[in-house]
Amino acid sequence: MRGVSVAEEIRAEMVANVWKVVVAQGDSVESGDTLVILESMKMEIPVMSESDGTVAALHVSEGDVVQEGDIIAVIE
Amino acid sequence: MTTTPTVPTTAAGKTVIPRDEDPRNPRLRLEQLFDPGTLELITAEDDSGMLAGIGRIEGAASVAFCSDATIQGGAMGQAGCAVVLTAYERALADGIPVLGLWHSGGARLREGVVSLHAVGEVFAIMTRASGKVPQISVVLGPAAGGAAYGPALTDVVILGPEGRVFVTGPDVVRSVTGEDVDSLRLGGPEPHGRRSGVVHVVAETQDDAYVEARRLAALLGDQRDLGEVEDRDLSSYLPDSPKRAYDVHPIVEAMLDEGSSLELHPKWAPNVTTTLGRLGGRTVGVIANNPLRLGGCLDSASAEKAARFVRMCDAFGVPMVVIVDVPGYLPGVGQEWDGVVRRGAKLLHAFAECTVPRVTLVTRKAYGGAYIAMNSRSLGATRVFAWPGAEVAVMGAVAAVRILHRRRLAEVADDVRGQVEQELAVEHGQLAGGLSRAQEIGVVDELVEPTRTRSAIARAIVTSAEYGRRGQHGNIPL
Repeated sequence: MRGVSVAEEIRAEMVANVWKVVVAQGDSVESGDTLVILESMKMEIPVMSESDGTVAALHVSEGDVVQEGDIIAVIE
Repeated sequence: MTTTPTVPTTAAGKTVIPRDEDPRNPRLRLEQLFDPGTLELITAEDDSGMLAGIGRIEGAASVAFCSDATIQGGAMGQAGCAVVLTAYERALADGIPVLGLWHSGGARLREGVVSLHAVGEVFAIMTRASGKVPQISVVLGPAAGGAAYGPALTDVVILGPEGRVFVTGPDVVRSVTGEDVDSLRLGGPEPHGRRSGVVHVVAETQDDAYVEARRLAALLGDQRDLGEVEDRDLSSYLPDSPKRAYDVHPIVEAMLDEGSSLELHPKWAPNVTTTLGRLGGRTVGVIANNPLRLGGCLDSASAEKAARFVRMCDAFGVPMVVIVDVPGYLPGVGQEWDGVVRRGAKLLHAFAECTVPRVTLVTRKAYGGAYIAMNSRSLGATRVFAWPGAEVAVMGAVAAVRILHRRRLAEVADDVRGQVEQELAVEHGQLAGGLSRAQEIGVVDELVEPTRTRSAIARAIVTSAEYGRRGQHGNIPL
């Protein structure tokens, strides 16, 4: 953690395929912005930022399989 | 802390705040809860550790009691518990809501088992009142032990920013288990709002906690008649692609009268939403799958959350609107071990025993076991509407043909398999019959345009034989 910023870890809620990665590391995002789109249960499920900040890390690429609890991105 | 000579201090040098200015004074807290000037005390201002009164909330009568945190940290002894019993007897006699403002370390140690017995009597009367009068708890400070289970037995728990709920505090946890945890992380807004489901509403400020309590008392205690309902285009909140997940909140908001919605458990089990609000001025409860979370799947926590909401609405005669877009139950070892069968059964039970009007709207899809659970015709839905293009099926057509035509699909070349699947899916859709078949067998009553949905639902509620009924059961905290 740097300065007063608080890191927010975005984790997968369920097993899913990473269908599209919408943001890149270093992008600034606002709460509600789509970070990646997962594919699970035959649906495209956007994963959104829950805070304003910068994409400090992006742990997935398109085609990856994520398990419940895996870190998708870190927003600072 | 001020130490000017004019301010009295205790031997330990602690400032003594005049009782009339102490924000923990229960009379001041009760005054803040009720409409100005309406509080009438029904018990004495003494050292019992509790105070009760009757007053008005948005004009409607309610009873409330409040811990006196200025005495022994609000601990509950025989006399304080007797105050709570008085409050409940009054609420039951008048048939009006009862609100508890909690700030208490639990039973009074000095009174020993006498205080345990008294706290147990409070639990018993809360249970006796369950489902008869709305019970709302506002946790303003620490609520430990008996003071934790008091709120937990009530219909709705609101947590203020200073509110902490736990069976045993951080010191005991540390000495027994070695876990180093502060009271915020042990029993504050984050764990109870997101993980445990103990708290229904997290208030950002203490003032908000009172505001939410007043809104809930009005919604449950003063339900009013269903009047004029204007239509809006509810489909504008759906994404273009039927595969794309979306947030259901705007649809729920638009279904309800403007500014009337109050969501319970917004962060716990968020794949289903449970919201109280008004439709045409009348209190209704809305349950909706939220595709943005877990694809809108039902799982063990969300089924339990919805079941408790259904039983609360039924007990208080609140009609329900069930907005369905559900791909099924969430598969997985974790779910099975978490009791998705047992906890999912609660939702089936809750809907099947329900006696209030409850109208279902299928917006996009309703598949499989989750279709049944979301207030299907078989469980006794008052009326089932579907938007044109919605799917009611055992599973999605492509998934179905992959099972039904597994051998044939295995024989075709890889490059054309997708196309063959699609063709078989179309054929399957025609055979299975889609919505028209669902209407034919009577599991969907009517297709309704999104632009006519609000008024259609309102009409289905007021014209149903169940309108005005309520369930004859308690509201066990499932």
